[in-house]
Amino acid sequence: MSVSSSTSSTLVPVPSPCISVCTMDPRSALCTGCLRTIDEIAGWSRYSDADKQAVWLRIAERRARG
Amino acid sequence: MKSNHPAVALPPTMQVFERGWLSSNNVLFLDDDRTATLVDTGYVSHREQTLALVQSQLSGRRLTRILNTHLHSDHCGGNAFLQHATGARLAIPPGLTDAVERWDEDLLTFRATGQECDRFRHDDVLAPGTNWRLGERDWKVLSAPGHDPHSIMLWNPADQILISADALWQHGFGGIFPEIEGESGFAEQAAMLELIARLAPRLVIPGHGAPFTDVDAALGRAHQRLAALSADPARNARQVAKALIKFYLLDVRSLPLGTLIRHLSGARYFNVINERYFRVPFEQLIERSVLELVAVGAAECHDGVVANRDG
Repeated sequence: MSVSSSTSSTLVPVPSPCISVCTMDPRSALCTGCLRTIDEIAGWSRYSDADKQAVWLRIAERRARG
Repeated sequence: MKSNHPAVALPPTMQVFERGWLSSNNVLFLDDDRTATLVDTGYVSHREQTLALVQSQLSGRRLTRILNTHLHSDHCGGNAFLQHATGARLAIPPGLTDAVERWDEDLLTFRATGQECDRFRHDDVLAPGTNWRLGERDWKVLSAPGHDPHSIMLWNPADQILISADALWQHGFGGIFPEIEGESGFAEQAAMLELIARLAPRLVIPGHGAPFTDVDAALGRAHQRLAALSADPARNARQVAKALIKFYLLDVRSLPLGTLIRHLSGARYFNVINERYFRVPFEQLIERSVLELVAVGAAECHDGVVANRDG
């Protein structure tokens, strides 16, 4: 993805991490598909792009930790 | 990199759970200090997460009402589970109330699409033209045929917010199911796009995908797509077949091609599509559709096993 210095709102919005698995793991309390908590899934539509990017980074950390 | 997409301005009494493609989005309304209403309940295999999402946002309220925009299994699959867990009353659009009472799975399209849905019962009807008080605001029920002849949309004129179901997404709309059986659907869908243009919503909450505000652009794309489908109804039929196969793959994730063909041979829509448009051996219709999904990166097929592919 190319990095733009533009601050306009024409950049691609942050996509949802949902991959339609939508089953919670009772031990980790994360969705087994997208590795988000229930609050992160429920709150997604209200998040700013910065919030959404922070969720994606947490997902990457969770995946790295296994 | 910096991007400035603002969080969509939703009223504080309204929460949108953006799901994927197997489950529709769900909209939760906080009606007052004690009660809440949910619009659409997702697919049956996601029902526990749907309930968990609702419960996480209730803050001591009870879910007392469930509304369905239409009775496709990705919008009403969690009905029974949520009704049982919460005691909520269910309101459905008119048109299929008898079919729901008898649980006629052919009329309800679950069997015809090769999909599943737990049996539910309804309490109320969402009659077009009526107003419903949801999240401390008035919402009007609008008849929305096209994708499904019995679909409705919900319109809030004060805030200019439209819950569009599958009549309009940011990039397209749901397949036009009536047309694959030779019934009218393109004309109804065109009328729906005209209606949405006249309403001029500030914010659209679609049945799938993120809520969006650039409604004119979405309408432009939808008009283009509808023109292409109307000019070539076989294309609509092919799209519906592919969408239904992708839907099944999202649920089961992977299975042998032969098993997929056997499962879908019992689904009436695939037989209707084949008879009306293609007239090839049934397995050829499925194989061709799978190859088209593979070509666009929506599926994989190795050693006779078909698998979902994300992204």
